[in-house]
Amino acid sequence: MTPHRTILMIDDEVQIRRLLRLTLEDAGWMVKESDSGARGLVEAAHWKPDAIILDLGLPDLDGLEVLRRLREWSSVPVLVLSVRDDESDKVAALDLGADDYLTKPFGAAELLARLRAIQRRHPDATEEPVFQTGDLRVDLTARVVQVQGAEVHLTANEYALLRILIRHAGKVVTQKQLLREVWGPNAEEHSQYLRVYFTHLRKKVDPQSTGLIQTEPRIGYRLVLG
Amino acid sequence: MNEEPLRPNPDDLLAALRDEEPSPKGRLKVFLGMCPGVGKTYTMLLEAQKARREGVDVVVGVVETHGRSETAALIEGLEVVPRRRLEHRDTAIEEMDLDAILKRRPVLVLVDELAHTNAPGSRHPKRYQDVLELIESGLDVFTTVNVQHLESQVDLVRQITGITVRETVPDSVLDGANEIELVDVTSGGLRERLADGKVYLGPRAEAAAENFFKEAHLTALREMALRYTAERVNRDVQLQWRGPRGRVPKTNERLLVAVGPSPHSENLIRWTRRAATRLQCPWMAVSVETGREVSEADRERVTHHLSLARRLGAEIVTVGGANVFAGIIHAAQEHHATQIVVGKTEVHQWWQRMKAAWQLHALVVGSGEADVHIVRVPESMEKLQQRSKTGRTVVVSGSRFGAELWEAILAVGATTLIGLWLLPVIGYWSIALFYLLTVVLLALRLSRWPMLVTAALSSLTWDFLFIPPRFTFYIAELHDAMMFGMMFLVALVSGQMTARLRRQERLVRERERRTATLQRFTETLAMAHDPDEAVNEAVKQIEAVIGAEAALFRRVNSAELEKEPAPGGRFIPDEKERAVAAWVYQQGQPAGRDTDTLANGLATWFPLRTAAMTSGVLGVRPVSERTLTLEERALLNALGSQLAIALEKEHFLRAIHQAELTDQSNRLHKTLLDSVSHELKTPLAVLRTACETLQGRATKQDAALISEVTQANQRLQRVVDQLLDVTRLESGLLRPKFEWCDVRELCDAAARAAQLDSVRLQWRMTEPLPFIKTDPGMFETALTNLLHNAAMHGPPDTGIEGEVSLRSDTLTITVRDHGQGLPGGDKVAPIFEKFYRAPGAAAGGLGLGLSIVRGLAQALGGRVEAANASDGPGAVFQLSLPVEIMTELPESVA
Repeated sequence: MTPHRTILMIDDEVQIRRLLRLTLEDAGWMVKESDSGARGLVEAAHWKPDAIILDLGLPDLDGLEVLRRLREWSSVPVLVLSVRDDESDKVAALDLGADDYLTKPFGAAELLARLRAIQRRHPDATEEPVFQTGDLRVDLTARVVQVQGAEVHLTANEYALLRILIRHAGKVVTQKQLLREVWGPNAEEHSQYLRVYFTHLRKKVDPQSTGLIQTEPRIGYRLVLG
Repeated sequence: MNEEPLRPNPDDLLAALRDEEPSPKGRLKVFLGMCPGVGKTYTMLLEAQKARREGVDVVVGVVETHGRSETAALIEGLEVVPRRRLEHRDTAIEEMDLDAILKRRPVLVLVDELAHTNAPGSRHPKRYQDVLELIESGLDVFTTVNVQHLESQVDLVRQITGITVRETVPDSVLDGANEIELVDVTSGGLRERLADGKVYLGPRAEAAAENFFKEAHLTALREMALRYTAERVNRDVQLQWRGPRGRVPKTNERLLVAVGPSPHSENLIRWTRRAATRLQCPWMAVSVETGREVSEADRERVTHHLSLARRLGAEIVTVGGANVFAGIIHAAQEHHATQIVVGKTEVHQWWQRMKAAWQLHALVVGSGEADVHIVRVPESMEKLQQRSKTGRTVVVSGSRFGAELWEAILAVGATTLIGLWLLPVIGYWSIALFYLLTVVLLALRLSRWPMLVTAALSSLTWDFLFIPPRFTFYIAELHDAMMFGMMFLVALVSGQMTARLRRQERLVRERERRTATLQRFTETLAMAHDPDEAVNEAVKQIEAVIGAEAALFRRVNSAELEKEPAPGGRFIPDEKERAVAAWVYQQGQPAGRDTDTLANGLATWFPLRTAAMTSGVLGVRPVSERTLTLEERALLNALGSQLAIALEKEHFLRAIHQAELTDQSNRLHKTLLDSVSHELKTPLAVLRTACETLQGRATKQDAALISEVTQANQRLQRVVDQLLDVTRLESGLLRPKFEWCDVRELCDAAARAAQLDSVRLQWRMTEPLPFIKTDPGMFETALTNLLHNAAMHGPPDTGIEGEVSLRSDTLTITVRDHGQGLPGGDKVAPIFEKFYRAPGAAAGGLGLGLSIVRGLAQALGGRVEAANASDGPGAVFQLSLPVEIMTELPESVA
């Protein structure tokens, strides 16, 4: 555990802030709070935190606007908090560069898991040549996929999708991003491709239906780390 | 002919695409025969019986058995829609009941004898129009017709058999048919059947039959039918050949036929139509306005010819020109005609021949690239000759001709008097100049024929009274004779010249008047502050310009017009007229007086159409019960389009205003809902997170307490969610956002969200289920509530069974519990109402779940139903939603 990880919380709800502070400090984070978007931006610039939790419903600035301004000069991992039924806001936030999102109400364990996932910075540089979670083992250099030790054959597109999910393991990947990376920019509207491919992919890499690949309706997909 | 390299013509590609698209229109199959008695009806019925055995919903719209038992036997087993009785002049006539068939909505309708003329008082004068309406509304139709009834074959039939067929069907109807089946027997075979009495001809036709069924005639008719079918097959083959990369030669021809008041025009039009069909190219009929005054009878004949051409599929063009041939050349250039068709008429006098030759030469030279066909017009019949005589009626009306003549005589007389007075002073030569002056001055006022009289009268008077020897017509000196001749010629030429100038001036004035009217009209519409006032003013202007009473109905929505006409018009339509207006609005084509549809109305009704929509209908009733002229129709069309654009603009402005209002109220609603939602959910979120954090480090006793708090929290969370869902549903803000979903995945998510805890849920579904298009959030919430409801009402140890089935385009989810069943037995309890709770239900819950299910199902276009299970206790809920099913993946994915 590294005791000096710092996190900035931008949320106008004082109760949420206090609660999160307790939870986060318990987990070894150093926490700073900010109750408005404008102040949050200033804090982020001065304090340079290792991660930011940003509520999308802020009183002064729209959370999306805060994110947009933040991303102009910083690539700090950002976890966005929002309420249910606001998929379009979530997608917009992810498009603007948020690393993941969490829907209220959420549990402490979920929050910490998400934070761990978005902390895994620069995946390409630090990536292990072999990825393993649960029954799934993927040798990224040899392009070999094994489930419970048995090799599974994936089509080129299926492997490409799995590869993207592994690169962002634990984090949500938007439909748009998947479509763009696998089928090119013209396919961004065809979310039905993903439906079909993920059905096949799940059958192959998760035959026991353990929920290895999660669908986030309207938003994207997530590879859950065991 | 154009032999340039064949590049794909965009129009053809579009047309080919259109053919491939599934059209909502019905299919038309025509059984074509060469004459009565070949067995068309019999063949049609055989085929209908076959369709019925295959399970097609067939009804008989109208079939004539003519008392023949074989045919009657074939009708058995087919449903016959009873005919409609119409009382007409004390006799009852039975006609096909179009409305009853439309109401019955079968898949396939049998309609015998396409060329039949309906009794007065029917919706359409012709049965083929009934058939077209059936097809338009999506019903398939089988019909029968004889080749001699085809509009384009009428004069051929007349030439062959001498019989003029009056009941005709436009070729366009058959062109639009999906299939044509030729019912053929040899002429010998037919005559045998005739002899056996197997052919029914109707009581009146017996006499004509003798002539009609001659061997030679039959062979000719058979050839016509075969040829017609062959041409059609040829066209179909070419259409099929023309695939995406089709390279079948297709002419780029465009035919142009000149149409005038002469009765020969009809034949010319038919000839051109046949040629155009063979070449498969568009054609147009051109009428030229020379500005010369035209008699009412001629005008009507031109209108008649043009409407015939339109029925046969021509584009109608009216152009102005100094003379007919100049007009034709102009139209040919403007519309890129490649072939020009004119008639070859019989002229006998040498000057007529000279004139015809000169004009033809001008046409041949002026037509440039285009080919010129000079078509022989068949020897005219008596009737035609009669009509042709009336066609040459004197142009200027009688009374005006007389007045002009008197004016000419008086002017020449006055000149003569002055001449006699001045003769001693200036000599007789100068007097000739006076006469010339008079002629030139008169030419400014008089028309052609009075001018001719003036020229003759003044030269003769001068000769008689002044040229020596005086008081005789004898001219002694050569120069006097020359002067006499010159004077006559000058008078004639100047008379003609001025007449032509005035004609052109009249044309220009006419055109200017039209432009000015249009401009004033547009200004009226554009400048008015109040749109309603502008429309009223516009209707008044139309009344003034056309000399008619008008009525305007504006649109309410795509199906309905306003109940009352706009107050600007003077024409107050009665019930019948309103029905016509409604029909015009729905069909988008003119009807009423002087049209093919509902022609016995008082007014002619025009749809006011723009590319986007029909924004109303305009009814015009000429004051003196006259027929609208072509120019008036053209002007009405122009004014109508302007009015349509103005109405459309107003419609969209209103729609924008409405949308802004709704948007504002929606925004307010959403803000309110969002803040309430935020306020309710934040404390819940805090509670949940706090509990989870505590749980990790609690002692065993504390853990039990925390678990209680967590459960209470969950319950509160559900109530808040339900309340918010209900509010959202009622606010109307909920709009489904459809996307492709995996049914299995949605069901599992719903089961998780329903927190069934100990209750066992068993799914039955036939996998793999295809992907469906629905709103995943709404679907999941609906199913969650349904499952939760089932879990609440069954004993905990029994479990729930869910079943998913997908039939054509409906997704049905059945959820069965093993509880007490629906309250009140099978009597309908208001279980789907808000806050309804079944008597004796377990504690907990607001009674909102099922009302949310119903609301969401309705928002998704589906429904939810409840019943008691047939096998043992328990209730069955069935949620059915219309969904789009993914049949296959786009190619690019694979």
